Amino acid sequence: MNGWLAAAAALLACGVGPTLWGVATGPVRRRVVAQNTATLLVCLATLLLAQGYDRSSYVDVALVLAVLGPAGTLVYARLLAEDLKAAPPTGRAGTWAAVALTPLVVVPLCVAAGPGRAALKLLAIGALLVAGNMVAARALRGAGRTDCEGAGPAEAARG
Amino acid sequence: MDDVLIVITLLLVAASATAAVAVRDPVRQALVLSLLGLTLAALFTVLQAPDVALSQLAVGTALTPLLLTLAVRKVHRRPHTRDDGRGGETTGSTESAGAIESAAAKERGE
Repeated sequence: MNGWLAAAAALLACGVGPTLWGVATGPVRRRVVAQNTATLLVCLATLLLAQGYDRSSYVDVALVLAVLGPAGTLVYARLLAEDLKAAPPTGRAGTWAAVALTPLVVVPLCVAAGPGRAALKLLAIGALLVAGNMVAARALRGAGRTDCEGAGPAEAARG
Repeated sequence: MDDVLIVITLLLVAASATAAVAVRDPVRQALVLSLLGLTLAALFTVLQAPDVALSQLAVGTALTPLLLTLAVRKVHRRPHTRDDGRGGETTGSTESAGAIESAAAKERGE
C-alpha cells in the first residue's frame, strides 16, 4: 500500500461523494456543474491509481476521460439550454477549486515519473483538464445567452 | 488498503445507482446516469480492468446520457411539429405521429 492509492481513495471519497449529492439534488444548473466537476475528480483519481498500481497504461483511461468529460458537458450545455437560460449557473468557487486541484495532483505525479515521455503525457492531460473545464464552465454560464440568439433562426429553419 | 479502495468505489456505485433510480425527471436522470458511468469506470480501474473502464467511459459517460437527452428533446418537440398542419390527426398517440412521418418520408423518396 502506498500514498498514491491513499490519495486516490481520499479524492474519491471526499470529492466524488459530494458531487454525487450535487448531481442528485437541487436545480439543473447545479447538477450540470457538479457532473462536470465529477469528471475532473475521477480523472485525477485515475491518474493517482495509475501511479499507485505502477501501471503506466492506466493513464490512457484518464486521457480518454479528460477528452470526453468537457465534451459531454458542452453537449449538456447545448441540450439543456432552455433550463440553463432560465437560471444560469452562478457560483464559480467549485470550478476554480477543482481546477486548482489539478496542478496539485499532476505536478507530484510528474516528479514521481521523472523526465521523459510519461511526464509529458501527464502534463498534457493536466493541460487538457484545466482548459476543458474552463471552456465547459464558460459554456455553461453563457449557454442561455448564446442560445437565446441562435435558437430563433435554427427553430425557424427546422420548422 | 486495496479493499478500502474497492469498498469506497462500490459504495459510490451503489449510491449513484440508487440516485439514478430515485430521480424521476428523465433529463436529470441522464446527468445521474453519467455520474454512474464515471463511478463504474473508477470501480473497473480499481479492479485492474482498464479496458473495460475505457469502454464504460465511452458508453456510460457520453453515449447513454446523450441518447436519453436527445430522445427527451424529440418527444417534447413532437407536439409542435404535429400542430404545424400535418393533417387532422387528433388521436395523439405516438404511433400515429410515426406513421405520418414515415408517410412523409415515402413521399419525399418518390
